Order: sequence, then structure tokens, then C-alpha cells
Amino acid sequence: MGLKGRGAIPAPFSKMRKRIGRFFYRHPGIEGFLFALPYISLWAAFLAWPVVYGIYISLFDWDPLRGSKFVGFANYVELFREPRFWNAVINTFKFAGMAIPLILGLGLIFALMVWGWGRTRRGIVAVQASLFFPYLLTVSIVAIVWKWLLERDMGLFQHYLSSLFPSAPVFLTEPAWALPAIAVATAWWLAGYRMLVFQAGLEEIPVELFESAEIDGALPHHKLVHLILPLLKPSLLFALVLTTISAFRTFGQVLIMTEGGPGWASEVLALYLYRVGFDYFDIGKAAASGVVLLFLILVITLLGVKLLGLKSELQ
Amino acid sequence: MRKAFLSLLAVMLLLGVWAAAAPIKITFNTLFHEADAKAMEKIIQMFNEEYKGKIEVELIQGRWAQYYAELRLSVLAGTPPQIGICHTNKLVEMADYLTPLNASPVGNLLEMAGIDPTKYVEAAWAAGELDGRHYLIPLDTHGWGLWYNKDIFAEVGLDPDNPPRTLAEFIDACERIKAAGYYAFHPAEDALPRKLRRAWYVFFWQMGGQLFDEGYTRATFNNPKGLLALQFLVDIFNDFGWNEPGSNGYNQFAAGKLGMLVAGNWFYGTAVKSGVNWGYAPMPNFFGVPYTWGNSHQIVIPLQPKGTPKEVYLAAMEVIKFISEHSHIWTMYGGHIAAYKPAAENPELMASEYWTRSGKWLNEMAQKGLVHYPINHPKGSELEHAIQAQIELAVNGVISPQEALAKAEEECNKILQGG
Amino acid sequence: MRWIKRYGPYLVLYGVAFLWIIPILWMADTAFKPTRDIFSIPPKWIPSHFTTEHVQRLFAEWPFARWLLNSLIVAGSVTLGSLLVSVPAAFSFSRLRWKGRDAVFMFLLVFMLLPWQVNVIPLFFMMTKFRFLNTYQGVALPIIAMPIGVFLLRQFFINIPRDLEDAARIDGCSSLGVLLRVILPLSRPVLAAFGVYIFNYAWNEFFWSMICLRKPQMVTLPVGLKILQGAFEIDYGLILAGAFMASLPSLAVFLLLRRQIIRGFTLAGSGVKG
Repeated sequence: MGLKGRGAIPAPFSKMRKRIGRFFYRHPGIEGFLFALPYISLWAAFLAWPVVYGIYISLFDWDPLRGSKFVGFANYVELFREPRFWNAVINTFKFAGMAIPLILGLGLIFALMVWGWGRTRRGIVAVQASLFFPYLLTVSIVAIVWKWLLERDMGLFQHYLSSLFPSAPVFLTEPAWALPAIAVATAWWLAGYRMLVFQAGLEEIPVELFESAEIDGALPHHKLVHLILPLLKPSLLFALVLTTISAFRTFGQVLIMTEGGPGWASEVLALYLYRVGFDYFDIGKAAASGVVLLFLILVITLLGVKLLGLKSELQ
Repeated sequence: MRKAFLSLLAVMLLLGVWAAAAPIKITFNTLFHEADAKAMEKIIQMFNEEYKGKIEVELIQGRWAQYYAELRLSVLAGTPPQIGICHTNKLVEMADYLTPLNASPVGNLLEMAGIDPTKYVEAAWAAGELDGRHYLIPLDTHGWGLWYNKDIFAEVGLDPDNPPRTLAEFIDACERIKAAGYYAFHPAEDALPRKLRRAWYVFFWQMGGQLFDEGYTRATFNNPKGLLALQFLVDIFNDFGWNEPGSNGYNQFAAGKLGMLVAGNWFYGTAVKSGVNWGYAPMPNFFGVPYTWGNSHQIVIPLQPKGTPKEVYLAAMEVIKFISEHSHIWTMYGGHIAAYKPAAENPELMASEYWTRSGKWLNEMAQKGLVHYPINHPKGSELEHAIQAQIELAVNGVISPQEALAKAEEECNKILQGG
Repeated sequence: MRWIKRYGPYLVLYGVAFLWIIPILWMADTAFKPTRDIFSIPPKWIPSHFTTEHVQRLFAEWPFARWLLNSLIVAGSVTLGSLLVSVPAAFSFSRLRWKGRDAVFMFLLVFMLLPWQVNVIPLFFMMTKFRFLNTYQGVALPIIAMPIGVFLLRQFFINIPRDLEDAARIDGCSSLGVLLRVILPLSRPVLAAFGVYIFNYAWNEFFWSMICLRKPQMVTLPVGLKILQGAFEIDYGLILAGAFMASLPSLAVFLLLRRQIIRGFTLAGSGVKG
């Protein structure tokens, strides 16, 4: 590492530099903060401030033209009494509960396949590219294509499925199947990226470990559980964080594939919020549900840090 | 010193002249897509050429789903467009955000611009008034009609030039088409929840039903009429075997597998492209009065920031008047029926294929007042979401029509009573 | 038996890959077949004839090339901007000590899961006040502000062995020097990996772009595809032709940078060995 490989710096500059250096040496805290400042100011302006403003709005019956009225927690009370809101909360968790394992599971299986069999074989790029390709599509396209594939008469999948099993459900019209169908479409879209993450983790595992396991006569699933998964933990955590983000922000797929139906069976929080804000223009209530969502996410993040030992990763 | 002063004066003068000569800029924000957007573009292009140097219109289109929220937000943020679009049923919700044209900050714009109300279709013009203030200038009427497959009609022994008009004729036609192995009928375009709801409205309205009481204090659809209408809709997809839940009527029709489809005038382009030999008829009379579902696009001036000069308002009115006077183009390329009566007599339009194959029938329905507008209430979207969720469940066979109406009634009443 | 052992895995791999891209093949198929064949019950794979009608319409009737350019500009500036602000911030959160650092970081993390719908209305107002609607900076800045980059890079920086930094400090390096001469040279792959992630995110970002961009000549590809979708019905041929064309640049980037991307994840996920 050529740490001292730089040319000499002109004297005045070097003097100033030294002075600045000394200042920061004495006040390391200020220096550290300055490094983070550009990002933090962007974050404060474009993420945090709108959220804070949202919290403020959530206490009003918001109507700037006629004059907003301060209503305290009335918006929250109204929200908590709304079955549709709770339904959306439950759906969001249901969706997360289905989509996250599906996305991670498929990603892991693909990675194991490509890594286990692909290392010694040629022509694996095509397989990798095929599995990754859906990730390159935008969400509205994924949703349009899947809605179409699952359509009753013209839908490719529905058609093949119904010719194999005449009693197969028409997924998007049945309350029990709508969310799982959306989860599958989401997994198709996102699993490829997780595959790459896991594959990278797998390639880090030293080959000698396997050879010694081979000598010990370990069975394949033993190898998976006792050898591979523990070593894959960092990649798993990383993928879990990304996937949780995607699951909680799910919006476009639901809007296009089912519009939250049948009934309210697939209305997730992001869609509920969008409707209250953009369709009903009940900005105060929309803000209140945003705040509740923020709180839920805070709890999940803290739980995640606690339960998954993310803390040790963070420190 | 004097030289400098003089040259400064000259520069200021030049700037002044330039400012005076600069055309007034008008932003026109629409929620139109595809063919509609192209048609509006044509009209605005003509305007910009004719008014070159005086008024310049910038057209921004699209964003159908969240148009109203964006319009309101732009008014609140103080940067509204000078012209916008509003559906009739959104007036109550939007009125605060619009300029009353007969009582604007600069006076009665309708009079100043010389707008003649008698030149517009009465129902459409009347929809623009609220508490003595007039907000909307009608652009068109659009709505649903009956599209049918002439080849299938011929194959099953029906007269391809005489589509069914009454319930008895209609049932007979459906049964024959079904027997020949086709889907007989789809009452709601692509069967999205809101389309199913509209189909139910149509049947209910035809029986003389009213969705809500005067003044919108409670829902009035959970009664024998409402139930019969919903039972009919559910049976179409189930017991009658005329179609199946979750199927897309647009696609079935375009694939040549569907006998009759209820769809809007916007289906015209796809119908032509699909190669199906189709015919078009007004909505059949199922239950008494042959109402169809429809609406009207109207042109508005959103609420402008205080101190907006009179010239801007007048320029905007100039644009609106021009659009009205050229709305035969809107009909010819966009397919919606112009609400400006002289436009519907335009020879070019009369001779167009669109008009002769389908447009004139829709026009007839509009003229007869059979195009029924949707509900007009500040919480309209919320009410309609509540209704359509239950209608959809009933059609898919998850709950019974009785349960659906009871649940929808309960939710609507809760919304109306602010609980 | 030996044959199976040798070629069986190929069969499985290619079989799965094939199943996985059936929707893509269907898209491509639809993009190049006439409208009449698209509307077919039952669905029909082999078209009566091959047509480029949809692709032609895409470029003739819509500013598709302009959308492509907009997407490139937005995704490019998001990537660049994001790296510029996230790298020093991640460095600060991982290797410099200051009061309240970890608390602030936890706070940032919460915003990773927050859907756009929560903050979009105040954001819209703000952007209107700044006159940032319908501008590239208007779309890009809120995406740059997302905490994901700081989180990922921090994960990586934390795992760089302390001795390297200490050695540099003994040699008289300032913190900036440590960042530029120790951390960054080691981080090239992870920067590439994050760059690809955020580029792809911005390339496909839909919700905020849809709110922020209204002028047809300013919209990015995902919003443009939404415009093609229409209000009443779906012109499948046109949309899928558009989707297909829009995904080709990203596919090219993936095929070119595949190795770097995977190496980047290796480092982001599990830290540097040795």
C-alpha cells in the first residue's frame, strides 16, 4: 500500500492541513460527524423532515383551504376503530411471512445449485443470467405479466394448470389464494438477486473444509446444516434485511394484480395508505396510518437487531 | 453618465416590449391516456398554431389513477395548472379547489368569454353547477354500450344486424350462444372490482333503484331491487353459465370467444385491431329503463393563486372555448361523444367509421338522457370501494348476494355517518 | 449411471432456468406477434407471423428513446450521488467515534423499511416549493437519501482489519487519508456491487418517479411503461415490447459485470479475509 507515495505538498497548504489535522485530532467527534454530514443532511431534508411533518399533520383535520383544525389523536382513534386498517396490517404481515421465506429459500436453492454443480461445469452463465433476469424488470411489468399469466382464459399458467388439474383454483379471484399468488410473483421477481448474494457467500467457504467433511463421511444435508449455513450467516442476514424492506414496501404488485381484492383480501398497508391519501384525500388519517406504520417498523427493526444478533454484526 | 442612463433606458424599453410580446403561457393538465391523449394533443396543436405569439398551451397528460390528488396538491402548493379536467361526479369533492367560472375573482368568465350554455348537452351542462356557482364546461359524455360478435350471432341463428333489446330476447341470445360453446355474455369489461360494481349499478338503476337517499345520509340499496340486480350479476358468472368469475371480457371478446360484451367507447381501438367482426348497440333494456353507466369529462380552471391577472383567466377561457368548438376531433379520435352540440353535427365526424359503427348509438343514449352518472359525494371513492369489495366477493362466490349487500350497506352508512 | 452423474446436473440446472424464464419468453413472444395472436384462447405460442409492429410503434408514437435517456441520467446521477455521500457517511459510522453515532445510525435504519406512501405528500409539497417537480434532481435526491447504501457499506468497512488503519495513522494519515488510501482501494468490489444495486433500484423505481414526473418528455422508463398501460385496457404487445427493450441495457450490464458483482457481494456479506 503506497501510503507515503504522494508528492510533496506546498508549504502553506501543508501548514493549513496540519492545523486542520491537529484540530480534528483534538476533537475527533466533530470530524466523525462532518464525514457523515452530507448524507445526514440529505436524509434529514428528504426523508426525515417529510416524516416529521407527517407526524404533525396526523394531529390535524387537514384542509388548508378551509383551515386545518387541530384534533389531537382523533385521527388515530378513527384509524384504530377501522377494521380495514387492521385487515391491512394483518395482510402486510401475512405477505411478509409468505414472501420472505419464499424469496430467501428460492435464492438459496438456486445458489446451492449453481455453486455446487456449476463450479466444475461450463455454460453456467446462461443459467445464472436466466435466474437473475426477472430482477431487471420494473414492478409494474412483473405485475402485468403475472396478472396475465394467471388470467382465467388467456393465462398461460392458469391454462396449463387447469388442463392438468381441472379443479385448480383461479388464484387471483379467491381470497385465500390472492396473497400467495402475489408472493410467488414477487419471489420470481426478486429471488435472482438473493441467489447472487448467497453464491458470493458460498464462494467464500474454503474448499478444504468440504474435503475434511467428505473424509468424515458427512451426509449432504448434514453438510448443509452444520457447515454451509453457519458460514453463510452474514450473507443470510444481508439478504434478510433487503428482503424485509421489499416485503414491507410492497405496493405495485398488489395494486396492479388484485387492487387489494377480492374484497379486502390482499389490501396491504402501503396500498391502504395510498388510497386514504390519494383517493380519499384524507391527509390527516393517511398521515396517522403512516405514523403507525413507522412505529411498527421501528419495533421490527429493534426486534431484528435483538433476535438475529444483528447487533454483533453492527458493532 | 447620460449615455449610460440612456442605454439603460433602452434596455428596459426593449425588455418591456419583449415582455408584452411574450405569449401568455397556459398549462393544461389532463388525465387522458393513449387515443384520448393523442386526440387532445391534436386540438391543442391547432390552438397553438392559430394563437402563435399570443397564447401558448403546454399540455401535460396521463396519470389517470391519482389525477385528483395531484390537482389538489398543486392548488395547495400554489402551482396549479391553468386548465384541468374534472369528471362530473368529482365536482362536490373538488369544488373548493376550482374557480367558479360565473363568480371568479375577475368577474363572470362565462359572460366575458361568450360561452353559450344552450350549445351544450343539457344534462352535461347542468352537472357543472353547485350552489349557484358554475364550475365545469362539458367536454364529452362517455359510457358503456353493448358490443357483440356478428359471426357468432350468424353461427347460432341470431340476426347479426338486430341485437337483443329486451330481457327475453337477451336471455334467448345468451342461451343459444352458450349452447354453441362460446362465452355468452360479459357485463363488465375486464371484471375489475370497479367494473363489476358499475354493472350492478346498471341493473339496479334500470329497475329504478337509488343508491343513496337525497342528501346522502344512508345507503338505500339493500332491498329487493338491489338484491335482484346483484343476483342477476352473480348468476351471469355462475348459475346461468354465461361466463365465469375472474374472466376478462375484453380479452374474451378480442379472441372471438365471447358473444356479447358490455364495454365503454374506449374499447373501439382494440375491437378494430382484434379482427373480430363486431357490431355495437345501446345498452339493452333489462329491467325497465335502459340506463347505462357513464360519465362526462368536463374542463375546469383550478383555483388560481391570489393576484393571477385577468389576462390569464381570459386566455384559459379562450382555450376552453376553442376545445369546445373543435370537439368533433375529440370524438373522432378519442371516441367520447362531444357535449358541444354543433360538434356532433360535424360532417367529417358523421362520415367517420367510428361514428357510423358505434359512436352514433352512444350519442343517442346521451341525447335521451340514458347515460347515468355515478354517485357524487365528497366520500365517493371511499363509498365505492366499500361497495365494490362486497360485489366482487359475491361474484366470485365467496359470500351470498344477501351478505354482500348487508355488509356494503353497513360500511357505507358508517362512512356517511363519519363513524 | 456415469452419464447421469455427468449430465444430470446440467439437466436440472437448465430445466429450472427454463421454467424460470417462461414468463420472459412469453413476454418476448408477445412483443413480436400480431395483436390478433395475442388475444387467443387458449394461449398460443407460435404466431401466425413475426412482426416488429409493436417495437416500431413504441419509437414512432412515443418518446421511448427520450425515456431511455431520462432513465440513464436519473439512474446514473443517483448512483454517483449515492456513492459520494454514502461512502464518507459509512466510513464515519463504522470507523470514527462520535457522540450519538450508533443512536443516529439506528434511526437511519428504521427509514429503510418505510414505504414511500408515508412521506410522499409532504415530499411533494417540498418539491413543489423548490420547483423540483419534473426535474432530474427532484427524482434523484430522495432516492440518494435512502439509507441502504450507508448500511451496506458500513457492514463492509467494519470488517476491514484495524491494523491496516493503525499502520496508516502511524504514518501520519488523517481520517480522510485513511478513507482514500486504505479503505477505498480495498472496497472497489463492494462499491461496484452497491453501485449496481442502486443503479438497478433507480432504473426501476416507480412510485416516487410517478409522483414527481409528469411531463411526458421527462419521465423515466417505468413511468413511461405505466403511461403505455392506459386507463381502460392493456395494449399487451406495446407494453411488453417496451418492457423487453427496457430490460436489455440492464441485462448487458449484468453480463459484463457479473464477476465483479458477485465478488462485491462476497465482500459485503462476510468481510475481507486476511
